Amino acid sequence: MVYAAVPGKLWSDSNDRGLYKTTDGGKSWSLILKGPNPSTGCSMISMDVHNPSTIFAGMWDFRRKGWTFRSGGDSSSAPSGSGLFRSTNGGESWVDLNQETAHGLPSKPWGRVAVAVAPSSPKVVYAFIEAEPPKNGLYRSDDGGATWQALDRSQYMVWRPFYFANLIVDPKDENKIYKPDLVLIASTDGGKSFSNIAGGAHGDFHDVWIDPLNTDHLITGDDGGLWYSYDAGNTWWKADNLPISQFYHVSVDMDRPYRVYGGLQDNSSWVGLSQYPGGIANAQWENMYGGDGFWMFADPADPDYLYAEYQGGTIGRINRKSHENRNIQPLPVSSEKKLRFNWNTPIALSPSQKGTIYLGSQFLFRSRDHGQTWEKISPDLTTNDPEKQKQEQSGGVTIDNSAAEMNTTIHAIAESPLNSDVIWAGTDDGNLQVTRDGGKTWHNTSVNIKGLPKNGWVSSIEAGHFSAGQAYATFDFHMSGDMVPYAYETGDYGQTWKRIASGEPGPVRGYAHVIKEDPIDKNLLFLGTEFGIWVSLDGGHEWAQYKGGNFPDVAVRDIVVHPRDNDLVIATHGRGIWIVDDISPLRGLTRDTLEKEIAFRSALPTVQQIPAWGGWVYGDASFIGPNPTGDAVITYYQKKRHIFGDLKMEVLDQNGASLGTIPSSKRRGLNRTTWSMRLKPPRVPPGASGAGGTGIGPRVVPGVYTIKLTKGKNVFVHQLTVKTDPRSTYTFEDRKAQFDLTMKVYRLLEEMAFAVAEINGVRSSLEAGASKLPASDTLGARLRASSSEADAFRMKIVATKEGGMITGEERLREYTADLYGSLNGYEGRPTQTELDRAESLSSELSGVEKDFHAWTDAHIAGINSALSGRSLAPISVLTREDWEKQTSQK
Amino acid sequence: MAAQSADELVGKYLKAIGGSEKLVAVRTLRMSGKYYGDGGYVTALLQLNRRPNMVREENSTQGLTGVTAYDGTTGWKIDPWGGKKDPEPLEEEELKGIIEDSDFDGPLVNYAEKGNKVEYVGKDQVEGTDAYKLKVTLKNGDVQYFYLDEEYYVPIKIEIERNVRGAFRYYEMYPSEFKEVAGWYLPYSIEGNVKGSQSKWKIVYERIEANLPIEADRFMKPALATAPH
Repeated sequence: MVYAAVPGKLWSDSNDRGLYKTTDGGKSWSLILKGPNPSTGCSMISMDVHNPSTIFAGMWDFRRKGWTFRSGGDSSSAPSGSGLFRSTNGGESWVDLNQETAHGLPSKPWGRVAVAVAPSSPKVVYAFIEAEPPKNGLYRSDDGGATWQALDRSQYMVWRPFYFANLIVDPKDENKIYKPDLVLIASTDGGKSFSNIAGGAHGDFHDVWIDPLNTDHLITGDDGGLWYSYDAGNTWWKADNLPISQFYHVSVDMDRPYRVYGGLQDNSSWVGLSQYPGGIANAQWENMYGGDGFWMFADPADPDYLYAEYQGGTIGRINRKSHENRNIQPLPVSSEKKLRFNWNTPIALSPSQKGTIYLGSQFLFRSRDHGQTWEKISPDLTTNDPEKQKQEQSGGVTIDNSAAEMNTTIHAIAESPLNSDVIWAGTDDGNLQVTRDGGKTWHNTSVNIKGLPKNGWVSSIEAGHFSAGQAYATFDFHMSGDMVPYAYETGDYGQTWKRIASGEPGPVRGYAHVIKEDPIDKNLLFLGTEFGIWVSLDGGHEWAQYKGGNFPDVAVRDIVVHPRDNDLVIATHGRGIWIVDDISPLRGLTRDTLEKEIAFRSALPTVQQIPAWGGWVYGDASFIGPNPTGDAVITYYQKKRHIFGDLKMEVLDQNGASLGTIPSSKRRGLNRTTWSMRLKPPRVPPGASGAGGTGIGPRVVPGVYTIKLTKGKNVFVHQLTVKTDPRSTYTFEDRKAQFDLTMKVYRLLEEMAFAVAEINGVRSSLEAGASKLPASDTLGARLRASSSEADAFRMKIVATKEGGMITGEERLREYTADLYGSLNGYEGRPTQTELDRAESLSSELSGVEKDFHAWTDAHIAGINSALSGRSLAPISVLTREDWEKQTSQK
Repeated sequence: MAAQSADELVGKYLKAIGGSEKLVAVRTLRMSGKYYGDGGYVTALLQLNRRPNMVREENSTQGLTGVTAYDGTTGWKIDPWGGKKDPEPLEEEELKGIIEDSDFDGPLVNYAEKGNKVEYVGKDQVEGTDAYKLKVTLKNGDVQYFYLDEEYYVPIKIEIERNVRGAFRYYEMYPSEFKEVAGWYLPYSIEGNVKGSQSKWKIVYERIEANLPIEADRFMKPALATAPH
């Protein structure tokens, strides 16, 4: 049996709203409590855990629009449907608890209602009631809801009830109550008074979980995330492993690796690295501002500065190093009365003029001097509808006028990359304006869009990269209950528009937040909606949802194609920043290609990233963003999934010599398989422990390599260009010297592996001969003694003390493996020390080998003659040729 | 399209991989190949299986060979890289893994006899390819999902869930490059990852041989250190 408070359609009337119940585990549901009007739903339920037929329900009349909201009724002729109800028969019938039926409750109208039955003493019931001040506040009943007493109504009991109305009673103590608000407050005296226990948490609390067995153990959620307390809220630990951040916008710079900039819902504006040795930890993100964050850009005219904003257009220019911040928001001159800035005020950089920046209120502003002066380059571009400018009356029963409902504002700005006089501005009330003369004259082009509903939000504008008259725009009507995508394209400065995504018949789902055109391929479009990202290869005729890398069905609010690295950088509202590495294989992907069995796709040349180590151990409660692969990525299209037989991928060097095979990818569609660019690891002699560092091969030098893909009888060939990391400080000759010396040490390890195999072969042969002799035969002792003598040579090459301890024993194998690992870890010119070391280790090994061969020359002939006298097999000495045959089979 | 039952799908799967007769005729398997990890890390692999439920897995790198094995009763390992070459007991999850690997024909074949349960849970897609999804509940309660290719009925994805000390661990495996060995179609290539991770490991077998004589003592826990000197 489950009860569910169902909100119904969030932005429009719904007869589905109310409290539902299932008695068959969710197979069927019935509506057991419904509001008196279609904007009233169930805001909270609480059950008597000792008698589950007794249920209290708070009902809430609420409606939000783009420019206002009400918590309570719509007007005097449409009174609030909010109320408090009790059932004692599992929801079959309900009693309306109000001033008349339950002594002590406040008079109506009410807004939001929270209710909680004390689990340890179910006659104690608490209700928070958003009534008209001063009747708003906490109410308590000690008789199961029959009579009520008004208690606390301190600031954070009554503040912003539409956002915070919730009550949580301690499972063991009916007098201990938690009330989430801007801060978290708690009462230990049955609701008479409350203390702030927010501690070091973010603020804007919404819920509290209390461990029923240890009630000092709390978990709370606020606008900053999830927090744990083990001392009843005196101190809080942050859960840093939840990558659920809500970005509004994203931008990138041109550093190597490039940085990502963006603003978060109620969590400031951040800059982070797109990759970092060891992974992108939270420490690789730096907070640069405050408040809610939205648009954020590096200043292309001065790399020491960046622009960020918080709600309502509060734009700052911030020094990246000192974090000094200068507020540069345009202010009204007296005749304008008020500048109306959207909650999410648009900032745009000119794509062609470094240092030119745009900002929109109801007017479009332009600055060419870092915000020192702003030029107003438009009249009021909105409908300037006075009905949408009554924010001072917004909120319903409790007035609530934050910047969030500001309306009749500019919401999207785009300057043409081809002509800086062509500027687009879209408003939150349906106007899509364009100027072709740098702001002297403006035309509202949304009137030219056939079938477009009126007064939607222009959620994004993309000025075309290939024609100054071309642009794309998305409109969002979700705040009037219309959830379908509206995306349009024009080729004539907005005189005519063509709808390119409508959700009918599909596949695009959800209202549209952003559209972007690839800067290289004009047919490649990206569309972000409330439910994900869609890609079109043909200018918007057909769309497919991007699901690569398990990309979730999450709201995509902004998208950037990195102009150098071709990465698709995606701002999600709920899953942080995602990067799709190098989307260039999508460019020019035509229907012809899609009909091919297999087709390689071109990509950027592979950069051999500098080998580097970073990061540290952060524990499991910390999110680490994955880096792009350091391997070469080979991309090919495959019409069908490969299931039977070989799909063999071989790498060839510049001379056509094979460097070995690599595993291929098998999926239908675009495949990405990786090549480490390393040769196979060296063969290493066995020793007391692992020869650390020898598990990987040397990395090949930059150049052009050939990838040969064989499927059945068909062979497909692709050239892969491998380049040096542009950040590296060494020359190709340096790199070649590193590779050559690494290979020399590689060969030394292999020579060593052979030498040990040779010694072990002789020893095995000697031991085998001895085991076949009777105990009385003295030859047995001689053979065993010889085996020990041979082993002495082995013990000069490899460490042999075993047992799992740190023996510190090092021989040629261990020294050489260390040198090999060191050479493999730095790709510039080796040090003179390393060159000398390689030489001396090589000569030491030669010495041992020479001594061993001198020993075999002196002893084996005699031993073989003795063995022959007893008709036993002679001692065999392994040749390099045979060893190669044996070990290459592995 | 008519609903497929679990048994119908298991029957088609068995037929697709060669049929019961061919499978039963295979008494041992020897598989050798390579493991590819991140950043160019490559090791040599050897896996030996013997009916009904013996398995030995070897992994060679840095001059040493590690062993993980199960003799039908006991699981053990030699983890030599730290300098200790004695056989040791397996960790809880290693033991679960090696017991899964010891099932000579896999968990779908004769599933009921083995105490496994199989349910058909509907159609799904594997990286854009349609598949039938079977839920396999192993005798120990762990669950695996087999995604059988809609056209060929061989598994193209296997999801593995293991309950380890009360917490679940999730993996995904993608078998491919099926080739015939003594009438049995076996995957020569397997890609795998921790569910949700983009870091993949890959196994490619270069050679799979059936019915070579493999003595039972290869799977038994040795009394003393046996790693080659």
